[in-house]
Amino acid sequence: MKSLIKFLEKIEPDKKNSPFLHTLFDGFHTFLFSPNHTTKGGVHIRDAMDLKRTMVMVVLALQLCYVFGTLNIGHQHYVSLGLHNEGFLDGLGAKLLYGLLQILPIFVVSHLVGLGIEFYFAAKKGHPIEEGFLVSAALIPLIMPPDIPLWMLTLSIIFAVIIGKEAFGGTGMNVLNIALLARVFVFFAYPTEISGDICWVAYDYNILHQLFGIEAGTLEALGMAALPEGLSWKDYVWSHMPDGWTGATPLGLAAKGGWDAVLASPQYTTSNMFWGTIPGSIGETCKPLILAGAALLISIGIASWRVMLSMFVGAALTAMLMSAAVGGDTSFFLGVPWIQHFWMGSFFFAMAFMATDPVTASATNTGKFIYGFFIGSIGMIIRVLNPAYPEGWMLAILFMNVFAPLIDHYVLQSNISKRLKRIKSAQ
Amino acid sequence: MLDIFLKAAFIENMVLAYFLGMCSYLAVSKTVKTAVGLGLAVIFVLGITLPINWVISTYLLEPSTSVLSGIIGQETDLTFLRFILFIAVIASMVQLVEMMIEKFSPALYISLGIFLPLITVNCAILGGSLFMVAREYNFAESLSFGFGSGFGFFLAIVAIAAIREKLRYSDIPPALRGLGIAFILTGLMGIAFMSLMGIDPGNIIPQK
Repeated sequence: MKSLIKFLEKIEPDKKNSPFLHTLFDGFHTFLFSPNHTTKGGVHIRDAMDLKRTMVMVVLALQLCYVFGTLNIGHQHYVSLGLHNEGFLDGLGAKLLYGLLQILPIFVVSHLVGLGIEFYFAAKKGHPIEEGFLVSAALIPLIMPPDIPLWMLTLSIIFAVIIGKEAFGGTGMNVLNIALLARVFVFFAYPTEISGDICWVAYDYNILHQLFGIEAGTLEALGMAALPEGLSWKDYVWSHMPDGWTGATPLGLAAKGGWDAVLASPQYTTSNMFWGTIPGSIGETCKPLILAGAALLISIGIASWRVMLSMFVGAALTAMLMSAAVGGDTSFFLGVPWIQHFWMGSFFFAMAFMATDPVTASATNTGKFIYGFFIGSIGMIIRVLNPAYPEGWMLAILFMNVFAPLIDHYVLQSNISKRLKRIKSAQ
Repeated sequence: MLDIFLKAAFIENMVLAYFLGMCSYLAVSKTVKTAVGLGLAVIFVLGITLPINWVISTYLLEPSTSVLSGIIGQETDLTFLRFILFIAVIASMVQLVEMMIEKFSPALYISLGIFLPLITVNCAILGGSLFMVAREYNFAESLSFGFGSGFGFFLAIVAIAAIREKLRYSDIPPALRGLGIAFILTGLMGIAFMSLMGIDPGNIIPQK
């Protein structure tokens, strides 16, 4: 350990002559060691739990979703080809390899682009690298469809980081959630890529697959079923899926025929929607693992349980009201039983990782309850009543991000007037 | 009635969906307190002028329903007077609001400054009257539309004011400070408000 510190001291670049190199060095140095800066003037409590370590905990909480998401990309791909569809773990190696080759480029691009901008602004403005983007970069791949073109991903991240964050003064100053801003950019700019029925199953072979040699039989070596009629892989894929695989999502089915239609479809059952072996954005399908991540974040005090609880209550109450409005008729989207709403779509992911973002949520405790409740309620309204969008949480969270400072303002004002009254009554 | 109110306030928000009334929206949104004052003034002016303009438009200007047509004995089309009459009504209402605010809250009167009389030429207000004519609302609907779009303006200006109070502590790039970041913010808020676009509040319960 000591030799590492000495080595780092030795290679530290000069701050004046090479600001870019120094910023880079500083970033990695604080990643390895807690910095020993002392504050100048005034007494401050210092703790090893700084911004970077908070961020790392969130990234850790996402890891289970990453593992499952990778596997699920492969699983959906092979199921749509009609191979290895008996069980989730059937043909594990091949599924894992396909998933990795699909998710790696997304992961790398999202980190490179975002951190590149972060480095540039840090050096330009002369402050150490702010690690705020680490969490956004870990979240963005999880909320994208597995087949997202990389240039689209790049554009969306550039938009979100520059317009959404750097223009407002960097980490901790953004008004809207960065990861959701990136997704909303893709959603409104290229709607066909991120909504509808065909985008949730990966079926193309990207450049990495070419490099690893699909033809060379890497996949067969991992236990892939032998191909019929001696076709090459490419031929097989293209002959089976000329236009991509189509199958309605649970929410798409429910919009047409209510809960009855979801139950009637052969692909979806309550249990596979719960365990997450269904098509969807990369990281949001598996509910138990997301809840495990949420439990970790709550237990170490990073994510706010107030937001999560009130968001759940808001969504449940709204769903109950809607169901009551049509007399519990489950052949309407409005009449979907409230508990079943939570298995469809991405409620839990939005609740655990998006709504709880401490920067864009309300800061006061009372404000958090109000903020969460409205997200739950508005999200459910958008999901069910808005025919334009398939899912509501992303837009509901952005909507409430706009109002979070206002909620805080009035919570603070009411606190001030309460205390003033107390002073007056004491006198 | 209620669906027109909801639609005007949340779904087709004057500021964040049509980008009308931007001048006072950007200029008076530095603190929540003045923003609330201006928002209430706009609600009042919109809510009062729209029904009055509806009466004028229907009974004086439109040839088929005009009272003048009956008096003169032939159809008289005075719709070319629409703009000038609408503006006159709006101006007199704003004058009224101005006198009231000056009387009851001089501090607010001073902090609103020139932007209070400038509500007269606020495009959201004239826009409201013209939308009402174009959409052929009846009296009750135009009343509801007036208060709804006023409430939408109030909501937008108070929300951005709260955000801008918070932004005072942000390290915004010098070139963007002030109006620059407010414009970016308005665009981002517009994206957030797109969430409700497409809902039809008049037709929520499906028919079999």
